[in-house]
Amino acid sequence: MLDLASPAPHDPRMISFILRRVFQSILVLLIVGLVAFSMFTFVGDPIDNMLGQERTDADIARLRAQLGLDQPFPVQYFRFLENAVQGNFGISYRQGRPVADILLERAPATLELAFVSGFLAIFFGIVLGVFTALRRGTVAANAVMTISLIGVSLPTFLIGILLIYVFSVELDLLPSFGRGDTVNLGWWSTGFLTWSGLKALILPSITLGLYQMTLIMRLVRTEMLEVLRQDYIRFARARGLRDRAIHFRHALKNTLVPVITVTGLQLGSIIAFAIITETVFQWPGVGLLFINAIQFVDIPVMAAYLMLISVMFVAINLIVDLLYFAIDPRLRT
Amino acid sequence: MTEMPVDRPDVIPPSRLRRAWDSDFAWSFRHSPVAMVSAFFTALLVLSAVFAPLLATTNPYDPASLNLMNGFTAPGTPNAFTGESFLMGTDDQGRDVFSTILYGMRISLFVGFAAVLLAMLIGVTLGLVAGYRGGWVETLIMRTADVQLTFPAILVAMLIFGIAKGVTPVEYRDQMAIWVLILAIGLSDWVQFARVVRGATLVERKKEYVQAAQLIGRSGFAITFRHILPNVLSPVLVIATISLALAIIAEATLSFLGVGAPPTQPSLGTLIRIGQGFLFSGEWWILFFPAVTLLVLALSVNLLGDWLRDALNPRMR
Amino acid sequence: MQRFLTASAMSLTLASAAGAAPFSWAGTTDPQTMDPHAVNSAPVLGFLNNVYEGLVRRGKDMAIEPALATSWEPIQSDGGGWRFTLRRGVTFHGGEDFTAEDVVFSYERAASPEADTASWFAGVTDVIAVNDYTVDILTAAPNPIFPDSIANWMIMDAGWAAANGAERPAKDAENFATLNANGTAAFQLSERQPGLKTVLTPFDGWWGEAEHNITTATFTPIQNPATAVAALLSGDVDMINPVPIQDAARLDGRDGVEVIRGIEARVIMLGMAQGADLLKYGANEGDANPFTNVKVRQAVAHAVNVPAILQTIMRGSAEPASQLVSPAMRGYVPALSARPEYDPAKARDLLRSAGYPDGFGFGLKCPNDRYLNDEAVCQAVVSMLAQVGLDAELDAMPVRNYWPELREDNFDMYLLGWSPGTFDHEHPIRFLLATPNPEKKLGSWNFGDYSNARIDTLLPLIQSEVDDSKRQALMTEAVGIYQSEQAYVPLYVQPLVWGARDNITLTQRPDNFFILRWVTVK
Repeated sequence: MLDLASPAPHDPRMISFILRRVFQSILVLLIVGLVAFSMFTFVGDPIDNMLGQERTDADIARLRAQLGLDQPFPVQYFRFLENAVQGNFGISYRQGRPVADILLERAPATLELAFVSGFLAIFFGIVLGVFTALRRGTVAANAVMTISLIGVSLPTFLIGILLIYVFSVELDLLPSFGRGDTVNLGWWSTGFLTWSGLKALILPSITLGLYQMTLIMRLVRTEMLEVLRQDYIRFARARGLRDRAIHFRHALKNTLVPVITVTGLQLGSIIAFAIITETVFQWPGVGLLFINAIQFVDIPVMAAYLMLISVMFVAINLIVDLLYFAIDPRLRT
Repeated sequence: MTEMPVDRPDVIPPSRLRRAWDSDFAWSFRHSPVAMVSAFFTALLVLSAVFAPLLATTNPYDPASLNLMNGFTAPGTPNAFTGESFLMGTDDQGRDVFSTILYGMRISLFVGFAAVLLAMLIGVTLGLVAGYRGGWVETLIMRTADVQLTFPAILVAMLIFGIAKGVTPVEYRDQMAIWVLILAIGLSDWVQFARVVRGATLVERKKEYVQAAQLIGRSGFAITFRHILPNVLSPVLVIATISLALAIIAEATLSFLGVGAPPTQPSLGTLIRIGQGFLFSGEWWILFFPAVTLLVLALSVNLLGDWLRDALNPRMR
Repeated sequence: MQRFLTASAMSLTLASAAGAAPFSWAGTTDPQTMDPHAVNSAPVLGFLNNVYEGLVRRGKDMAIEPALATSWEPIQSDGGGWRFTLRRGVTFHGGEDFTAEDVVFSYERAASPEADTASWFAGVTDVIAVNDYTVDILTAAPNPIFPDSIANWMIMDAGWAAANGAERPAKDAENFATLNANGTAAFQLSERQPGLKTVLTPFDGWWGEAEHNITTATFTPIQNPATAVAALLSGDVDMINPVPIQDAARLDGRDGVEVIRGIEARVIMLGMAQGADLLKYGANEGDANPFTNVKVRQAVAHAVNVPAILQTIMRGSAEPASQLVSPAMRGYVPALSARPEYDPAKARDLLRSAGYPDGFGFGLKCPNDRYLNDEAVCQAVVSMLAQVGLDAELDAMPVRNYWPELREDNFDMYLLGWSPGTFDHEHPIRFLLATPNPEKKLGSWNFGDYSNARIDTLLPLIQSEVDDSKRQALMTEAVGIYQSEQAYVPLYVQPLVWGARDNITLTQRPDNFFILRWVTVK
C-alpha cells in the first residue's frame, strides 16, 4: 500500500537521525526508571503482604533491610539499574521467582491480544474510515459513525463486563475469562493454534480494540475528507483518473501522515489499556501481572514492567518518526 | 442561537469564528437534526447538573439524611421497610439514584471540561512550539511526551494522587480528589494534542504562506498562533471532541481502579463502579441509570463535536 | 472379614471410577508460593493443606484430629511440652519415608528467621526426635492449646529439601520449594503456573482413605468477582470462592448452581484511638481526643445500626458480633453474647453526659479491598454516626496503603477484621487488647493503644491454664472488661459465601479453607 522505497535508506541524515534518536531513547528509559522508582513510595508498603498476621515490628524492620527498602529511592534505583543491565530484574516479592522469567511467561498473552486488537483496530478503522468518508451523508455511513460512538461513550471495563454478561452468561457462546488452551512453541505460549484459544481472544480483543478502532476510523475519515478537497485531487479528477485510483493512490496515501502518528500512539496505548481489559477478562498477560503487582506492591515486577513498556513505547515512537521521515519528503529538506 | 455550544473560543481565531457565527454556522446547525438533538441533550444534562440542588429530591452528600434501610429500593416501588418510593430506586446506601446522578454529573462534567481544557492548553502550546521551533526545544518536548506516554494514565493518576496526599492537609482531602482527577486526566491527555499539533505544524511550516510571513518579518509567536494554529485546528478538534467524552470515561475508569472520586461524594464514574457490582444480582437500576446518563452525555458531546468540526471547517462543505 | 473388606474396597474403587471427574475452581487470590513456611496467609495455607500435612489437622467441624501424628500427650516435667507419636508407613509424594527427622527439620525450617511462621513456635524451646516415630516438643511454660496452634504447621521432607537447596524459605531469592511441593497429603502438585493455574492430582500412596472422586483439580485465580460469577454460571469452573454477597440470592435462583453459606471466623469491628491525646482528622482536628472517654466509645456502639447493615449490605448473610471472636471459637463466652442495642437517643445522651452535646468531627479510616463490602459498611457507619452528631470524615483506601497508615497511628477510628489463627479467644486478647510491647510481642495489632492492667495480668494466666473451666472463667473476666470498657465495637461476623455447580458436593470450613478431599463430583 505504501511506497517506502522512495527515500534513500543510506542518506547520512537518516543515520545521524537514528543515532540521535537511540541516544535520546536511552535517556528516556533512564528517566522513566527514576520516575517509576519515586512513584513506588506512594503505591504502598510491600511488607504487610509479605508477612503474616503474627508479624512483629522487628520482623518488619528485618525484612525491610533485607530487601533494601530502608534505602532512599535513588539508591534503590541505582541498584535496580546495576542489576538490570546485567539482565537481572530481581526476584518478585510475591512469587519469589525471577521477574524476567515471569515477564517472559506473561508477554505472549499480552502481545497476542494486542496484536489481534491492533489488527482489528487498524483494519476496520481504515476500512470504515474510508467508507464513511466516501459515502459521507448516507444512512449507512451515519449509522456506522453513531454506533462507533456508542462504543467509545462507555468505559472499557463496562463494555467488557457487558460483553461477558451477554455472550458468556446469557448466550453461553464464548468463554468469560482466560486464554483457553494454549500451545507452547518453545517459551512462547500461543492461543492461536487451538479452537478454545481463538474463541477466548474474541471478547477481550473487541473490548481492547474498539476505542482505537473508532479513533482511527474518525481520523481516517476526517483526513480523507480533507484531502479529497485538495487541489491535486481535483486536478486528478479533471485529468480523468478513475475514482478508485484517486481514492486509493492519492487520497488515502496522503491521509497517512496523521494516521500513522495516531496509530503508532494507539498501539502503545493498546498495551497500556490492556491493563484494564486483562483485569476484566482475567487475561494472563503482563497487564494483569502489573495490576497484581500494584495490589501487592511487588516493586521488582512493577519496575521491570514499566521498563519493558517504556522500551516498547520508545521503539514505537522511533518507528513512527522514521516513517514520518520516509513518507513526507518535505521533512527531509 | 446564543446557547451555541462553542466552548473553546480561546482556540478559534476571531475572524473565522465571526464568519461562522454570522451565517454558515447557524445555517448548518439548523439543518442538522443530529446536531440539534445532541445539543438539546447536552444542554439538558449540563443544566440539570448545574441546577442539581434545585432538581434533586434529596441531598446525597449529606450522610445524616440517609437511611440505610432504604437500600436497594427498586425504581417506583415502595421500600419494604420504610415505605418510601424513589423514581430511579436507591443504591446500597439508601441514596436516591436520581439525586445522586444529578450531583454526580456535576463532578463528572466539571472534571471533564477542566481536564480537557488543561490538556489542550498544555498540548497545543507545546505541540506548536515543538513543531515550529524544532531543535533542542522540540527534542525536549517530544521526549518528555514519550516519557509521559510510557506511563499509563492510571499510574500518572496514582503518582499525582500519592504526592498530593502527602502534601495536602487532611481536611482538604475530599475536595482534593476532584483536583487530582483533573490534573491526572489533563496531564495524561496533553500528549495526544502535542503529537498531532506538532505533526501538522511540521507540514504547515514548510508551506509557502509561513515562509512568506517569515519573509515579511513577523515574529515566531505571531506566526505560530496567527497562522499555523488556525490551520492545525481540525485535528485538534477531533482529539478534543473525543477527549471530553474520554475524560469523563477516564474518570470512571480511574474510579473503577479505586483512585477516583470518593464514594461519599460519587461522580458518575464512581456510581458506575458501585453499580457494576450489582449487575448480576438483579439491582440493575444502580448501574443502568448512571451508565445510560454517561452514555447519553458522552454520545451527545461526541456527536455535537462531530458536527462542530464539520461546521467550523469551511472546506468540508 | 477379609473377603468383606476386599469386596467393599472393590465396590468403592468401582464407584469412584464410575463417577470420577476432573474438577476446577477459582478464587480471588493465587497462593503466592508453594512453600508452606514462607508465607503465613490464608490463601497459601488453605491451598497447601491439600498438598502438605501437619502432625494434626482440623476436621469438618474444625476439631483437631490426628494426621501425621496418631496421638499426643502433655509431658509432665518442668516447663512443659507435648509428646507426639507419629504415624507409620507414611510416604511423601516423592516416595521418601516420613520419620521424626522430617518433623525436627520442619520445625527448624518453620521456626527459622527466614520463615513467616516463626511466631507459632514462640514458646518452643526444643524439638527432640526420641526415636523414628516419637517426637517431643518442649515449651518454656505449659501450653494447653499448643496442638491446636500447629494445625497449619506442615511437614516437609528433610532429604528432599536438602537435595534441592530449599532448607530455608527465601524471600529475596528463588527457591525450589516456591514452585515445587513434596508433601504427604491426598493431592500432589502436578503443574504450577503462578498467577495462571495450578493443577493437583490425587496421590495414590496417601495413607488415608479417599472421600473424593476427583481425577484432577485445577485452580485458577480470578481477581474480578463479577468475572468469577460469570465463569461459574457459564460452567467454566465448578466452584468459586467467594461469591460476591450481593450476587448470592441471584445465583440461588439460577439452574445448575448452588450457593453455600457459612460463617467465617473473622469478626469485623471498629477500633478507636485511645492512646492519642488529640484528634487527628475532621472538623475538630487538634482538639482533645474524645475517644479516651468510655462514654463516647459506648455512644459509638449504640449509634451503629448493625441489624440494618446485616439486612441490606450483608444481605442477611452475616451474624452480629458481641465479642472479638465468633461463637464457633474456643473460649467464646456464651453468657456475654448480648451486643449494645441500636439506640440513637441513648447514644446522644451518652455524648451529652460525656460533654459533647453537639457531637464532634473526626476521621474514619477504612480499607476498600480487604473485607466483604468493607467500604460500603464504612459509608453506612458514617451516615449512622452523623445521625447522632458524630461527623466522620471517611478515608477509604486499598489495604496496601491501609496497614502502613494504621501502623503510623494515622486515624481516629478505623475498621478492622480479625480472624484468630489459633481459633482461640486468647489470640485476639494477645494481639488486639494487650498493652503494646514489641519485646514481648504483645499487642502488635492494638493500633488504638487500648490498655488495661487486668487484661495484661489475665493474658499469661489464660495462656498457661491447663484446666478448661478455670481457663473459661479467666476468659469470662477478660471479656467482661473489654465489653464494659468498649475497647472495640464488634459489628458482625463475616459470612462465607461460596458458589458451586449443583453436581458438586463439598464441605465449607469456617476458616475458609477449601479441602479437596471432601469434594465429590456427580
